[in-house]
Amino acid sequence: MTEEKKPEERKKRRTATEAASKIGPMVRASIGGTVQAREEGKPLAYTFICCCYDEIIRAMDVVPVWTENYAGVCGAKRDAQRFLERAESENFSRSLCTYALCGLGFDAWREELGEMPPESPWGGQARPDMMLGSGQLLCDPRNKWYQAAQHYMPDVPIYDVGLPWPAYENDYDYREVQDYYVKYIVEELKGLVKFLEKHTGKKMDWERLSELVELTDRTWDLIWEAYELRRAVPTPMGTGDAMNTMVPMVFMMGTQEAYDYYKDLYDELKVKIANKEGVIPDEKYRLIWGGGLPSWFALTDFNYFNSKGAVFPVETTYRMIEATYNFDMDLSKITDPLEHIAWRWVKFWTYWHDRARKRPGSHPDVERLIKYIEDYKIDGIVMHEAFSCRSWHVGLIWQLNLLKKVYRDIPSLILESDIVDISSYNEADTRARIDAFIDTLEAVKSR
Amino acid sequence: MPRKVTGGGLTTVDKYYQDYGCRARELKKQGKQIIGYLCAFTPAELITAAGMVPFRIKGDVNEPITKADTEMETIVCPLVRSCFDMALKGKYEFLDGIVIPHACDSICRTYDVWKYSLNLPYAHFINMPHGTGDASLEFYQEVLNTFKTSLSKFAGKEISDGALTEAIKLHNQNRARVKELYQLRKASPPQISGEELTKVLITAMSLPVEESIEMLGEVIAEVKGRGALSAQKPARIMVIGAQVDDIAFIKLIEDSGAWVVADDLCPGAREFMAQVDVTPDPIAGLAERYLRKIKCGRTYREMEGNYQEYLEDRFGHMGRMVDDFGVDGVVLYIYKYCDPFGFEVPQIKSYIEAKGTPVLYLEDEYSMSTIGRLRTRIQAFLELLVK
Repeated sequence: MTEEKKPEERKKRRTATEAASKIGPMVRASIGGTVQAREEGKPLAYTFICCCYDEIIRAMDVVPVWTENYAGVCGAKRDAQRFLERAESENFSRSLCTYALCGLGFDAWREELGEMPPESPWGGQARPDMMLGSGQLLCDPRNKWYQAAQHYMPDVPIYDVGLPWPAYENDYDYREVQDYYVKYIVEELKGLVKFLEKHTGKKMDWERLSELVELTDRTWDLIWEAYELRRAVPTPMGTGDAMNTMVPMVFMMGTQEAYDYYKDLYDELKVKIANKEGVIPDEKYRLIWGGGLPSWFALTDFNYFNSKGAVFPVETTYRMIEATYNFDMDLSKITDPLEHIAWRWVKFWTYWHDRARKRPGSHPDVERLIKYIEDYKIDGIVMHEAFSCRSWHVGLIWQLNLLKKVYRDIPSLILESDIVDISSYNEADTRARIDAFIDTLEAVKSR
Repeated sequence: MPRKVTGGGLTTVDKYYQDYGCRARELKKQGKQIIGYLCAFTPAELITAAGMVPFRIKGDVNEPITKADTEMETIVCPLVRSCFDMALKGKYEFLDGIVIPHACDSICRTYDVWKYSLNLPYAHFINMPHGTGDASLEFYQEVLNTFKTSLSKFAGKEISDGALTEAIKLHNQNRARVKELYQLRKASPPQISGEELTKVLITAMSLPVEESIEMLGEVIAEVKGRGALSAQKPARIMVIGAQVDDIAFIKLIEDSGAWVVADDLCPGAREFMAQVDVTPDPIAGLAERYLRKIKCGRTYREMEGNYQEYLEDRFGHMGRMVDDFGVDGVVLYIYKYCDPFGFEVPQIKSYIEAKGTPVLYLEDEYSMSTIGRLRTRIQAFLELLVK
C-alpha cells in the first residue's frame, strides 16, 4: 500500500447561514465521539442514513457510526483516494459505490494494522460492535457493503432491516397494499430491537422510544417549515448550505439537539427574510437541485453558481422529510412506536402519488419537481450524475424528459462526477458547463 | 401449441438463438400475448398460468448501445442498458407488457424508465424483499398475490390455483430437463460444450414453457446419441457471474483451450437447479423458491452460525459444483456497475481459492470490444492451470 501525499487543507467554503457554518465542527465532534465511545466500551453500530432506526438506536444508547458520512468527510477533505485504492487492491471494482469503497478500504486497512490508518481524517472510523444494513427499493450497497465488510471483520454481526415501500403503478393505488407493507416493516423493526437487545445486553425502553418518535415527528415538521421559508425572494439559503444543514436530519434524528438546530435555523431564516437578506444580493436565476448527491469535494461549485447570479432555493436531495400533518392520516393516533415509524416511512415514500394520479402520464418524482418549480419560482434544473451510485442517479434523464412532456420545457443541466472519487472531477470542465447553462438561462429570460 | 421449426434439437436451438424472439413474434401473430421480463427473479409461472408467454429480454453484445443513452444513464449495468437499447430499437416490438422484479439497483431503479419509455399496455414491478426470514417470506407472498391480481386484471380472467399449479409443474419439468442436460457436462470430455449449452438455455428463455420442454428433450436425446465430444482439452472451467445471455464469452474460453463444464450464472445453474414445491397455496411454493432457494447476491441471506458457516450457506453450492463437475479453475466474470456481485468478489474468490481451486476475476462491459483483452487474460489463466 502506497501512502499518498496528505492533501492540502482547503479553505472553508463560504456559507449563507450561520446554521450551515456550524455543521463542520458538529460532524468532527460526532466522529471524534465515536472513537471515544469505542475506547469507553459503549456499543457502536455501523449505520446508514434514512433507515427508520434512528429513534431505536438512540433509545437503546447505541452509538451510530454513519459510514456514508465518514466516506463523505474523506471526500470533502480530498483524502479518499488512498482508501479507494486500497479497496480496489482488494478486488472491489472502482465502479461500485465510492462511499462503500472508501469505507471498505478503510476497514481493510484498519483491521490489517490493528489501529487507525495513518493520519485518518478526523481521527478515523471506529470499529463497530454490530452493523445495521437495510433492504429498500434503492441502494444495493445498503445490504452488500456490510456483508462485504465482514470479510475483514468476521466477528461483527449484521442486522438487515427490510424497508420496502410501494411502487407507483397504474393499475392499483398504494393504499390497497400499504397495510402489508407496514406489517412487514414492523416485524423487521421488532427483529432489530431483539438484535440490539441481544448484542447490548440491554432492554428496550419503550416509553423513551415513544418520546423520541414524537420528537422526530416534531423535528420533521420543523424542518419542513424552515425549508419552506426558502421560497422567499431573495432566498435566504441555498442548496450549498442545505448540504450542510442536512446533517442533523440524517445523522441526528431522534435527538433534542437536532430539533434545536432546526429551531435555530428557522429563526435565522425568518430574520434574514425580514431583512431581505438573500444568499446573494442580486438574485438573477432561481434553480432547483433536482437530483443526485453532491460532489463532496466540490461544494464550492455552489458558490460558483452564486457568483453568476444563480441561487438554489430548493433541492430534492436530502429533503428526506415531509410535514407529517400533511399526510393523509393522523400519525399521532398510531401509539405503538414501531407502527408509527413504519407508517411514517410508507407515507413519506408515497407522498407524491396522489398528485401524479391527477396528471395523465405523470409520475410522483416528476410531480415533486413540478411542485417545487412552482412554489419556489424556479428558472432551471441542475442535477448531478455520480458515476458510482445507481440509487440516486438513475432515472434523472428520464425525469427531465417526462417533465418536458407532461409539464413544460425548462432549462436543465446534468453535471457528471462522483460523490467521493475526485479523479472523476474536472473543475474547468464543470465550470465551463455551468457557464454555458447560465448563458442558456439568460437567453430564456430575455425571450 | 404448434411447433414451427423442426430438424432436431440443436438445429432448432441455433435458429432460435440467432434470431432471438422469432418464435414469440410468430406467436404474437397467432394472437398470443407476450410478456417481457428481466432477470430470473420474475416468477414466469404466473405469466404462463395467465395464458400468456413469458419472454426473457436479452441484450446483444454485438450491438453498440446508442438509443438507450438518450433515456438511461450510462452508469447503469451495461447488460440492462443493452436490453433497453434493444427494446428501444424495436427488437421486442411484439411485447404486450413488461414485468420487472426488484433484483438489483440497475434493474429496480430503471423500472420507470422502461415503463414510461416503452409505454406498453401492461407493466408491473415485483417488489421482492432482500431478506429471507419469515416476515420477508410472508411479505413476498403478499407481493406475489398483488402481481397475480394485477396480471389477472390485464388478462381479463382470474388466475386460478389450479392453473398456477399446472404452470408450476410445467416449469419444474423444464428445469428438470435442464438439470438432466447438466449431467451431460460431467463426463471428460463433456458430452455438450459450454457454448452449445449456453445457446440452449438462452433459447429456452424465449419460448413458451411447453415448447422449451420439448426442445430440451430433443437436445438431450441428440446429445446422448452422439456421445462425448471428441476434443480432449486440458482444463475444465466453471464461470460465475450475473447474467450471461450471449455465447461470446463462453466461446472465448472454449476457443482458448478449455471446456466450460459448470457455472453459477443466469441463465444457468443458479436459476435452473431449484424447483418450486407444489403446495396447497401455489403462491407459498413460488415465494419459497424465488426468495430462499435461489442463491444470488441480490438476496440477503441472514447469518446463522459463525462466519465460515455463513460463507458455506452463501457459496457452498459453488464449491460443490467445483467438486461434482471436476472443475480445474473458476472464472469470476462480473460486469462493471454490478453492485450485488461486485461486492462479493473478495469473498467468493477467497472461498473458492481456500478449497484449492484457482480463480480468475474479470470485470467486463458487456461488449465484443473487450474480447481481445479478455482473451489475453483467459489464455494466461489457462496456461497457469495446465502447468
